[in-house]
Amino acid sequence: MMADVLQTLLNGLAAGAAYALLGVGFTLMFGVMRRLNLSYGATLMFGGYLGALLMAKAGDALPGGLLTVFGAVVTVAGATLAGLYVERLCFAPLRDRSGVAAMVSSFAVWMQIEALASLLLPQHTNPYPAPLDLAPLHLGALTLRAEHLLTFAVAALLAIFLHRLLSASRFGLALRTLSDSAAAAQAVGIDARRTTLLAFLLASALGGVGAWLVLVADQQVTPMFGMWSTAKGLIAMMLGGLGSIPGAVIGGLLLGLVEATGQALFGPQVRELIAYGLLFVVLVVRPGGIFGRATIDLDAAARERL
Amino acid sequence: MSDFAIGLASNIGMLAFVALSAYLLLISGSISFGQQAYFGLGAYGAGIATALWDWPLMVALGFGALVGGLGGGLVGLLTRKLHGLYFAIATLAFAEMTRIALDLWHYQRMVGGERVGPDGPNGFNGIRRAFEDGWDPAAFMILIWTLLAVTLLALLLFERSRAGVTLRATGEDPVLTRLLGTDVARLRVRTAAVAGAIAGLGGGLYAHLNTYIEPRLFDIMLGVHALAYGLIGGLGTALGPLIGVLIDIGILESTSLFQGWRMIAFGGLVAVLLIWRPRGLLDEPTVRRLRALFARPARHA
Repeated sequence: MMADVLQTLLNGLAAGAAYALLGVGFTLMFGVMRRLNLSYGATLMFGGYLGALLMAKAGDALPGGLLTVFGAVVTVAGATLAGLYVERLCFAPLRDRSGVAAMVSSFAVWMQIEALASLLLPQHTNPYPAPLDLAPLHLGALTLRAEHLLTFAVAALLAIFLHRLLSASRFGLALRTLSDSAAAAQAVGIDARRTTLLAFLLASALGGVGAWLVLVADQQVTPMFGMWSTAKGLIAMMLGGLGSIPGAVIGGLLLGLVEATGQALFGPQVRELIAYGLLFVVLVVRPGGIFGRATIDLDAAARERL
Repeated sequence: MSDFAIGLASNIGMLAFVALSAYLLLISGSISFGQQAYFGLGAYGAGIATALWDWPLMVALGFGALVGGLGGGLVGLLTRKLHGLYFAIATLAFAEMTRIALDLWHYQRMVGGERVGPDGPNGFNGIRRAFEDGWDPAAFMILIWTLLAVTLLALLLFERSRAGVTLRATGEDPVLTRLLGTDVARLRVRTAAVAGAIAGLGGGLYAHLNTYIEPRLFDIMLGVHALAYGLIGGLGTALGPLIGVLIDIGILESTSLFQGWRMIAFGGLVAVLLIWRPRGLLDEPTVRRLRALFARPARHA
């Protein structure tokens, strides 16, 4: 019994590690732009589709291990490429306008990318080969799937890499300055357009890795993947508080735990319902996220303007 | 009219309801990604009312609007303090919750020897009331457009009223509107309820025209379209969303020109329009100019 509970939580954490990556990608983009990129999931799905397509084409020509690496590279590259398109079309031209316009624009482009992906691979379910034929790891009564171990390892490595990049590189400093204050960034001569574009591509690549981890575990990619990853990343980010990277990591892990518990208790469909319900309740009760500050009060704003 | 034209006109009319619903929130300054939920709730509500409870069609359509309005009002009440993207995400979350909940919902009865009613992901079959009552497709199309015309007229008159002006002012600057003494939170709740009811009315019509509905129909893509119609057609007048629907269904879908590429063309159109004309073709300045153009001869006469 106890082992079952622990096993559920472990599975939840593994899913949560992937959610955390998606949430961090969302947060990076939001941090530098103060804009929400809703087509994030669709760009990742495009990467996944491109990976599935090219792996199917390369199929027999490459040995198993190399095929896995090839799939990962294509998926990440595809996601980054689609991210570049979204940034150029939806965010760069709308820089000086309300954030909502860019958000709606990214929503419209979501349709485009999804339609394009289904032109590439028209079937509903597309195999995503993952020749990781590794035995699961046994820890006492618990088993850890090889894919989950991979997810933990990659997510941890990326977290360390991202932390180093943000805290100890020139680009990281520029990115953090831009997130904190656009005016300060301008004052010290940071190229906001370039930094935004780079952050966007970084987020797309990170998301691409996250998508790859999920697809390798699922061994298939469907048109639902766009909505799925947008939802998971968005929920992870909003749970932890908009704009906070550690918050997104904690939000992602929390979402994984809650979903795994929900699924164990009520089944897979209720799991999705619980995920959205959690998002809705957090937005209504604590819009700033579990750890963040609360809502904007219109009366207070009115008094302030007086 | 050919069957094709009747079907097309009916589709345009029904989609116009959900587009108007999103439009009403847009001009009040709220972006909703979730109007498809109230369209779906209205469809299920009206469908259940005729197919399971044997209510007359018109009463059932009213009930669908009521269900949509209650849903919209409830979400509006809970989210009345949320702004911009917080509101948008909350509506998106609610709409997906609704869709999944409909997927889980089973409520069936034996009617005339067959099982009728919502059956989770298998959908809801046998909403045949309209055709049993003798509405042929042409008559039903006229019904759709009559109800749409009434809704449009009401919205156009509302926009000329004091309340309509206040609503637009809220969209422009909620803090200033609050300063001028409007209870913005209450206005938001009411707007959300009315918008929900408009979507619910369209949903009821949709259920009875197609006789079959399923939760998947009310997914996020319907919400994106609803929002996009207003943004393409223009936020200056309630006729804007209708123009948006005409462009999408009338041109992109009905001609085979864009076969398979319709979504790509439509998505691109929205993105480009947002850069070029952020408030659509019939935006506020255009509407003012047009109005002046038509008003001038009258003044000189």
